[in-house]
Amino acid sequence: MLETLAQAVINGLLIGGIYALVSIGVTLIFGVVKIVNFAQGEFVMIGMYLSFFLATQFGLDPVLSIVVTMPALFVVGILVQHFLIRRVLGQNDMPQIFLTFALSLLIVNLSLMLFTANYRTVHTWYSDEALHLGGLYIPLAKLFAFALAMVLSAALWVFLHTTDLGKAMRAAAQNREVAMLMGINPNRVFCVALGVALALAGAAGSLLMPFYPAYPLVGQVFVLMAFVAVVLGTLGNIIGALVASLMMGVAESLGIQFIGADSGLIVVFLMLLLTLAIRPSGLAGGRAR
Amino acid sequence: MVIAAASQIRIIHKQEVCNFDYNLVYNLTLSPRAKLSAKLEREKLSPASHRRLAVPWPREVNMRNGRNPTSKRKTRREFLIKSAGGALAAGAFGAYPLRGYAADPVNIGGLYPVTGSLAQIGVGCVEAAKLAVEMVNDAGGITALGGAKLNLIISDVQSDTTVTRTETDRLISDNKLSAIHGCFASALTLIASEVAERAKVPLLTGSSSDQLNKGRHFTFTPFARASQFAEAQLQMSKLVDDKPKVAVIFENTAFGTSTSNGLRELAPNQGVEIVLFEPYSAGFTDASPLINKVKASGANALFSVSYLNDLILIVRTVKQVGLNIAINGGSGGFVIPDFYKNVGKLAEGLQGVAHWNHDIDDNAQKVNAEYKKRTGEFLFEYAGGLVAQTFMIAAALEQAASSDPQKVRDAIAALDLSSGYAAMCPGGKVKFGPDGKNIHAHPVGVQWQNGDLASVFPQADARAPLIKT
Repeated sequence: MLETLAQAVINGLLIGGIYALVSIGVTLIFGVVKIVNFAQGEFVMIGMYLSFFLATQFGLDPVLSIVVTMPALFVVGILVQHFLIRRVLGQNDMPQIFLTFALSLLIVNLSLMLFTANYRTVHTWYSDEALHLGGLYIPLAKLFAFALAMVLSAALWVFLHTTDLGKAMRAAAQNREVAMLMGINPNRVFCVALGVALALAGAAGSLLMPFYPAYPLVGQVFVLMAFVAVVLGTLGNIIGALVASLMMGVAESLGIQFIGADSGLIVVFLMLLLTLAIRPSGLAGGRAR
Repeated sequence: MVIAAASQIRIIHKQEVCNFDYNLVYNLTLSPRAKLSAKLEREKLSPASHRRLAVPWPREVNMRNGRNPTSKRKTRREFLIKSAGGALAAGAFGAYPLRGYAADPVNIGGLYPVTGSLAQIGVGCVEAAKLAVEMVNDAGGITALGGAKLNLIISDVQSDTTVTRTETDRLISDNKLSAIHGCFASALTLIASEVAERAKVPLLTGSSSDQLNKGRHFTFTPFARASQFAEAQLQMSKLVDDKPKVAVIFENTAFGTSTSNGLRELAPNQGVEIVLFEPYSAGFTDASPLINKVKASGANALFSVSYLNDLILIVRTVKQVGLNIAINGGSGGFVIPDFYKNVGKLAEGLQGVAHWNHDIDDNAQKVNAEYKKRTGEFLFEYAGGLVAQTFMIAAALEQAASSDPQKVRDAIAALDLSSGYAAMCPGGKVKFGPDGKNIHAHPVGVQWQNGDLASVFPQADARAPLIKT
């Protein structure tokens, strides 16, 4: 019993690490640029396909391929901000929602056309391996993904707290108008925010590839969890999103284990509902940082 | 001498016909008016003389060269067949006049999703359908109809139920069809079958929905029904262990629920114990908790009623956990070549049930070899089944000696085949019951072995032993 419980917690934490990468991206964009990026999951999908083709064409290990997917999606993020999002900022919220939603639909359908609806998997030496500790097991692929996700989250935290650009982004997140008055160039900050968020999505894609199949609709599986985590952990709060993601992973896993395999998400959404009822602004309170 | 005299008489006899022929062809190439008069002329001929005309059409050339007409005829025909010049010749003379000289081709329809979500399988089906028709035609066509060729008319149902209805309607009303086969997905076939019933055109299908055998007179299902798959799957678990303890995990919509309920109902009769019966919501991010449950249940066989991406995660997680359990995916989309291409070695040892497999008999292997040569992939379940269906239609046309759909329907209903390409199905026999079900049909248990799908169950159809994973 205790073993099953421990295993369920391990499973939850590991998948929670991946949720975190996606939700941190969403919350970063929301915190800084104040838009909800519905297409975040699609960028995860692009990251997966990038890793897939790098692995099948050049034999590059999917986890190592983050050195390609992260810069590539960073550039995509800057382009998306500069050519698309910049044009709808400042008006009311509707055009922004439509823009990212349309972007999501466009990317999904383009990839359906280009890649077909087939499931693609990459098989690496660690894909089917696991560390066995007593009666417990930790799948290697997920362990790598979790560890790198934590490293990337920490790196982001350091970036936001020690560099000028990072501080500018936090300033813009806290109060955009005042930040502008202090001489922060909003478009530059927004470009970096989008770039970093999409780079994280790309990293999530690469890290998923060794154990999760890529297909055009894969992004929607993860983006739903990401949105819940973002709301749960207070919109715009990065640490909040990280903690909420891990909590959700564990809640889902425990739900499947002890209630039923079709009830995992019920537990997660119940958690969301209770949080919203008791602390409407999220677990981290009203502060975005 | 006697032979020579006899052939002499035949030549003279043909010569008379030929002169007429020549004029006809000549006239027809001249002007629309001449065409019309020739048409009127032709309609005056009785069907019997019609058929006689069919044989010696290029005689005018022979007469001019003074060569043996038979040899010339042969080379001309060979030319037409081999160079696919039939179409060319038809174009040169106008398609119309030729019809009087070769037996009218028999139109059969093929309804497959060539675009949309099911396109990949649909395209494979069309390849197989073309191959089947070619095989029938190369073997001399329908003898009872004067060597009539089969003419396959493909219609794209676009993986969509609404399109299926309009396309089936269009296919039937635009063409004089003798029979139809299609549509791969049960949901599409059910609709095509409704339309075909109304138009009174026989439809053969490999789709497994039991619904297709209810209140229908023109729909025939030569292969195993959905209800039979569950039974076969349970019996297969006994190959793994004498006392199979089965964990059933299924996605919780109609597909998973109905299939797994079927399994649960039949399990006691088959002496199979179900130790875990667990629904899950499709499209999960992590199969570990689910597999944790399977592990805790102590099962030695796992039935996974899943969509493909879930199945991939489940198989992978089972490997990671190091769980020693035989996985049976039932009848799903994983018995196609693409599955192995996408999933790779992970698929090894995975079991399933199918209504057809390419190794069930010598004929199937022959067709499979030809298909492989053309497409580079093995002949998958549905495509193989429809090759057999094409030969069933051909056999019915021979019996009916008519291309009238009603007569073809009656001939299909009366078929009793146990040899040839038409009988290349599990069980090796075709005889339809009053509900359109092949009374000999049963599913075949398959397993991925070294990148190929091998038949392992039942004993009579097994071509390889089951590999215990």
